[in-house]
Amino acid sequence: MSVRDRGRAVLERLVGASATERILISTAALVLSILVGAVLVLIAGRMTTCTANEAVYYFGTGFCYDPIVVFDRLFLGALGDPFSGGWSPDGQFSVTLRETTLLLFTGLSVALAFRAGIFNIGTQGQMVVGALATALGVLWVSPLVSGVVGTVLLVPFGIVVGAVFGGLYGAIPGLLKAYADANEVITTIMLNFIATGVALYLVSGAFKDPESAANQTVPLPEYAQFPTVLFGGRQDFSLIALAFGILAIGGLYYLLEHTAFGYDVRTSGIQPDAAEYGGVDAARTIVASLTLSGALGGIAGAMYVMMVLGTFQTGFPDYGFDGITVSILAGNNPLGVGIAALLFGVLKSGTTVVQFATDVPPQLVGVLRGLIILFVAMPEFFRLIGKRVTDAGSKPVATDGGRPGGEDDE
Amino acid sequence: MSETSIDSASRSDDGFFERYSSRALIAAVTVSAIAALLVGGWLFPDSIVGTFADVVTSRNTLSSALRLSVPIAFAALGGIFSEKSGVINIGLEGLLIISAFTAIYVTDVTGGVWVGFGGGVLASVLLALLFAVVTIEFRADQIIAGLAVWLIALGLAPFASQVIYGGPNTPTVPTPGSITVPVLADIPFFGALFSASPSVYLLFLAVGLSWYVFERTTFGRWIRASGENPKALDTAGVSVTRVRYAAVLLSGVLSGMGGAALSLDLGQFTGNGPTMVNGKGFIAIVAYLFGNYNPIGAFLSTLLFAGLDAMQTVLQLQGIGVPRQLIRITPFVVVIVVLALVGRTRIPEAAGEHYESGEE
Amino acid sequence: MDTAVHLDGITKRFPGVVANDNVDFAVERGTVHALLGENGAGKTTLMNVLYGLYDPTSGRVLVDGAERSFESPRDAIDAGIGMIHQHFMLVDPMTVTENITLGNEPEKWGGLAVDRAAARDTVVDLSERYGFDVDPDARIEDVSVGEQQRVEILKALYRGADILILDEPTAVLTPQEVEELFEVLEELTAQGKTIIFITHKLGEAMRAADDITVLRDGRNVGTVDAAETTREDLAELMVGREVILDVEKSPAETGDVVASASEIVVEDERGVRAVDGVSFEVRAGEVFGIAGVDGNGQSELTEAVTGLELPDSGRIEFLGDDVTETSRRSRIDAGMSYIPEDRQDRGLVMDFDLVENGLLGSQHTPEFGPNGRIDWNHSREHAEAIIDEYDVRPPNADATSESLSGGNQQKFIVGREFDRDPELVVAAHPTRGVDVGSIEFIHERLLELRAQGVAVLLISSKLEEVQGLSDRLAVMYEGEFMDVVDPATTTEEQLGLLMAGEHPDERATGSEESPQPERNAASGGEHA
Repeated sequence: MSVRDRGRAVLERLVGASATERILISTAALVLSILVGAVLVLIAGRMTTCTANEAVYYFGTGFCYDPIVVFDRLFLGALGDPFSGGWSPDGQFSVTLRETTLLLFTGLSVALAFRAGIFNIGTQGQMVVGALATALGVLWVSPLVSGVVGTVLLVPFGIVVGAVFGGLYGAIPGLLKAYADANEVITTIMLNFIATGVALYLVSGAFKDPESAANQTVPLPEYAQFPTVLFGGRQDFSLIALAFGILAIGGLYYLLEHTAFGYDVRTSGIQPDAAEYGGVDAARTIVASLTLSGALGGIAGAMYVMMVLGTFQTGFPDYGFDGITVSILAGNNPLGVGIAALLFGVLKSGTTVVQFATDVPPQLVGVLRGLIILFVAMPEFFRLIGKRVTDAGSKPVATDGGRPGGEDDE
Repeated sequence: MSETSIDSASRSDDGFFERYSSRALIAAVTVSAIAALLVGGWLFPDSIVGTFADVVTSRNTLSSALRLSVPIAFAALGGIFSEKSGVINIGLEGLLIISAFTAIYVTDVTGGVWVGFGGGVLASVLLALLFAVVTIEFRADQIIAGLAVWLIALGLAPFASQVIYGGPNTPTVPTPGSITVPVLADIPFFGALFSASPSVYLLFLAVGLSWYVFERTTFGRWIRASGENPKALDTAGVSVTRVRYAAVLLSGVLSGMGGAALSLDLGQFTGNGPTMVNGKGFIAIVAYLFGNYNPIGAFLSTLLFAGLDAMQTVLQLQGIGVPRQLIRITPFVVVIVVLALVGRTRIPEAAGEHYESGEE
Repeated sequence: MDTAVHLDGITKRFPGVVANDNVDFAVERGTVHALLGENGAGKTTLMNVLYGLYDPTSGRVLVDGAERSFESPRDAIDAGIGMIHQHFMLVDPMTVTENITLGNEPEKWGGLAVDRAAARDTVVDLSERYGFDVDPDARIEDVSVGEQQRVEILKALYRGADILILDEPTAVLTPQEVEELFEVLEELTAQGKTIIFITHKLGEAMRAADDITVLRDGRNVGTVDAAETTREDLAELMVGREVILDVEKSPAETGDVVASASEIVVEDERGVRAVDGVSFEVRAGEVFGIAGVDGNGQSELTEAVTGLELPDSGRIEFLGDDVTETSRRSRIDAGMSYIPEDRQDRGLVMDFDLVENGLLGSQHTPEFGPNGRIDWNHSREHAEAIIDEYDVRPPNADATSESLSGGNQQKFIVGREFDRDPELVVAAHPTRGVDVGSIEFIHERLLELRAQGVAVLLISSKLEEVQGLSDRLAVMYEGEFMDVVDPATTTEEQLGLLMAGEHPDERATGSEESPQPERNAASGGEHA
């Protein structure tokens, strides 16, 4: 057996296997997006101007941006340059973990809804509502306590407030879908706009910090924010928050795979008619999963306020939309969300490094986000490529596949 | 037996009584509210009602409603073509964004507004082509792929603007101006119809043509069949794939016209946050759902949404004390309320499903 | 006489399956030729080869004596072949004319518009020529199934078809409409058209065809002259052995009423009464059967009883409680088992393995999901027990239900529902698409449950099945029970009349409720 043959056999097995296939497709999608991104960087490098010294040359043409530098900065930079000595946990690496933590929650939020067959594009809005509620709630009660006791009480309180309000905001499209048959894709998108608008109204008016030029609330007291452990706190990252995120992964996995509610959710997600037959209350499952999904989004918002910003400010970053990418990349599997969140955390954190080291605009990651979703959405494309590679040179052999049942019933 | 907008299609709906009544209800409430407003305003010209009535009957309101309708209605027409053929195109927003930016860029480079307009349309068509290949050829989930189209454009346009102009907003370019029909433009209120940007006239043309295509041409029938029962079309010897490609590309053309008109009429592309498109592509989806996939219905419901938007602008100018931020979200709230009342619309039978011809 | 179609040594292989094995098949011009065989015998595959939907693995297709190779249906259409599929290829919201001309619309103004007047005229001419009664302006969704079928035939004729293939054309028709169809076929052959008629019903092949070719396991096992053969001969050809469908059954020992329905009305989406005031009761230890042609309200009635659909009026009682509006889950918990009509949509989650599928409906019971936490070990044992007891193949609890054959899927569902320790079993078409061996097995199990005092509500369109198993038998027609009879003392002919909406004894008097048998054959359109 030649190396090539063996390689083909491995690939063939991989193309057949479903879980492995998922991982393979996600990886391929990621790689492909980065390649397209590289081309984009090159093109952008032609459209901008720079001196001849700054330019790099590929294929005999000069470009102002070097994709290799860009992706080197994007990945290695995000990890805090582990290979160049002087690595420290509270460098860029902790920014990466911070982003990962937030993406864990938004990713889980989208994944849970997806498993119930619901496309929650509203995680963004649920996060904004949760964040605002957390900020206002914590500000409201923070004068009552202080110090370490304050932290121990206020941080969990803030998370609960974020979860409750995010959950309630998630329940709205759930109720609309369950009882008015309104398409959740549209309603959640609309609710995103509404959340942003209302938040802007509140923090530019009634709850505005009079001492700040920005539209934001009064800053939270220090003791009402996530304490930093191990990591030096400079990068607004708390290991406790990450640990909580990992706990959430385990929790969601257990919920989906080992509880009757999870069984209901999964059944109605893939085959609503069978779920109905099996006694699943469709309306209740929809509302419950969207509420839970919204709660996870709300927690992400609470984390952002209490760990990163220390206040609520308008112009909230797109963690909700990134969560869609994370979830899709992870095949909506909670365990996969962990890995995908880390990957995407690297991308997000690396963006700032890239911006610093080169002039490539940070919106590049936004494009990559769209491309990844696009590529993951077309497994057929990768199957075709996989087939083409495995078929090359091999004669078609009679496959004994056993025909799936039912088709010849009529 | 020709299809006329709302009532004919609802005949076939499941549980149409309910739906028919909610559609009728919304229409009736709108009409009577306006009537009450006008009567009230005529009786008490100095009250707040009077001010409102003035705003509603103001030529400016109609004029800005038309202007605001342009991107939404174009995108809605595009969405109708795509979805009627069986491909749900949720990426209209992305098509609007990419064409809005490209139109400004090309205008800036070439100096020709109409060249820029064409450039915007071309960009949108290319993105629609990508969407078509991915959904039709590679059987991607239409919703996810549409979302990807939106997110790609949402990243790409500000990215390009940043690269080229050093910021998410472009500099301003010349606008196409407006076309004024003499005499007719002086008619009170309706005069606004005859003194408008060329894109408004283009829109009228597009609405009429779209209606004609669906009701009178072979191609229109094939699109309908492709969305309702692709197998019927396939066995009749027409390629479903080709019809769907054509329909999705048309949605690219129409959305591109909408996006290009949006930015060119203002002479600038702004790419902060959700960009200047700011959800218009999604409102377009609701507009054509509410208009029951009829081009004229979609246009009228767009006018409803845009009218609301226009009123808030005019009200702001008059200094009526409703916070700007809250007024801005009214269209989104209205969309949700409308969707909740109308509920499930009768979408084409095969929409969202991939179609594979023959064996294998 | 000349040969219109000749299929010469056709073999068609799918991965793992030989659907057609060296089949020879010849049809004389101007005749009706029935292609007879059981489900899965390869009839439809063979015709799809002729129609250009499939490429044969080997063999030749000859039309009018010339060898042809069809890349697509378009080629077949061009060669004068038309196919009327079992599931109509019609666009519901479009009109009859629009459907008939689809893909070949007459145009005017250089292709800028459809010439609607010309299209309508052509359709009217065509239907007059063959004596069809269709309204060219009606929408497909508003006309009866029989009329939809005539539209399909007109569609083929409009495209110039000389050879018409009809795939199981009677499956969805009422007996009355079947008669109308046969008259249409006679008219068509009289005008020189050739008809290939795919069916699994012996009687219809005998009644309508000139020649009959029987397929079994993908092979041609004989072509006979319809006038010179007998039902027994054909049955033997089809099945390969003599089938005894007589079920040994002890007399019923009935107990209390387990479930009852009174004056049930269920309206469909269009507001038409699919079930129109049906009442019955099922007692412990008896099989209450509901017979009828598919689509006469049985599905809606079943869903109302099992809690999947809310009846518009009426009352359903189960074990003495009013359950008319209670949830599906509460009915499952109270001991109602249900073998659904559509096993792949309802009965199984296709992507789940058998362990997970064995849980469907029991996930909240204390046995499998105590405190909301699922006991996967117990679920696995449960699934393996079903697999073992009901001989589900392959015997692998980790296999997805999608990978199972239709018959094995059904056996798994039957096992799951019977093992639930039910008070009432609602069995809708429990043996549809199941092989003969499994049919007998399922029937035996059903009667065992009956002997144990379980109440059984059996819905089936197989007359032998409902007649053989039921203790009392209702016949449903257009949403109503025509009658409830003793199946042991009622003849098949009497049941057939009831299924067609006629009371055997009222036939002479012509009661007002029953449709007039001598009604003009062509006047469809009243069917709900």
